[in-house]
Amino acid sequence: MILHILNRPPSSSLAYRDALAAMDATDRLLLIEDGVLGALTAQIRHFQAIEGRLFALREDLSARGLEGQCDASVQVIDVDGFVTLTEEADKTVSWF
Amino acid sequence: MRYGLLVEGAPYSSQASHSALRFASALVARGHRVESVFFYHDGVYNASRLAAPPQDEPHLYDAWRSLSAEHGTQLQVCIAAALRRGLLDAREADRHGKTGHSVESPFELTGLGQLIDLGREVDRLVTFAP
Repeated sequence: MILHILNRPPSSSLAYRDALAAMDATDRLLLIEDGVLGALTAQIRHFQAIEGRLFALREDLSARGLEGQCDASVQVIDVDGFVTLTEEADKTVSWF
Repeated sequence: MRYGLLVEGAPYSSQASHSALRFASALVARGHRVESVFFYHDGVYNASRLAAPPQDEPHLYDAWRSLSAEHGTQLQVCIAAALRRGLLDAREADRHGKTGHSVESPFELTGLGQLIDLGREVDRLVTFAP
């Protein structure tokens, strides 16, 4: 399993398409920095294909005043959860 | 586990340095070892010893130094990316006839081969880009 890390929102970058195209059926995607905007309900349609495997970093949501506004399908994790995801993955790939 | 971090974002321009430092803190708190942080592209600006941010803002340069001092993390800077951006250690400054230098220990100028080695040696390599 590969952990993909995305720091761009779908509204301003198509990097998410490259990330999704590179993911296999078990890979996970973590949204960080401005990428967490993709976790909002208005943007979540872009990530339907990986439902249940989408994560967003709580600290970056909080810094943008968006904590509690994520779509229900997104798993919100803190930086310790980020560490756990990297432990569980065979490797990580960052998209930007 | 042994981790390596790759930082490609300049300090105070993107969130990359902040994200990497926060992640590094969480790693060591969990008992992992952060073997090295490799600074590449505009990330090399993190290595400027002359950085003097306002006192009420995070001092990224000092934060990197603390990480190295407290946890033995190597701070490796791509020499090719550094020289063309005016980031020289004393030896390179002398070699290029420059007065003063902007990089010093614990940061070290190294080649890109060191990044390849790092990727082979550590269990996880995580990239933080602008």
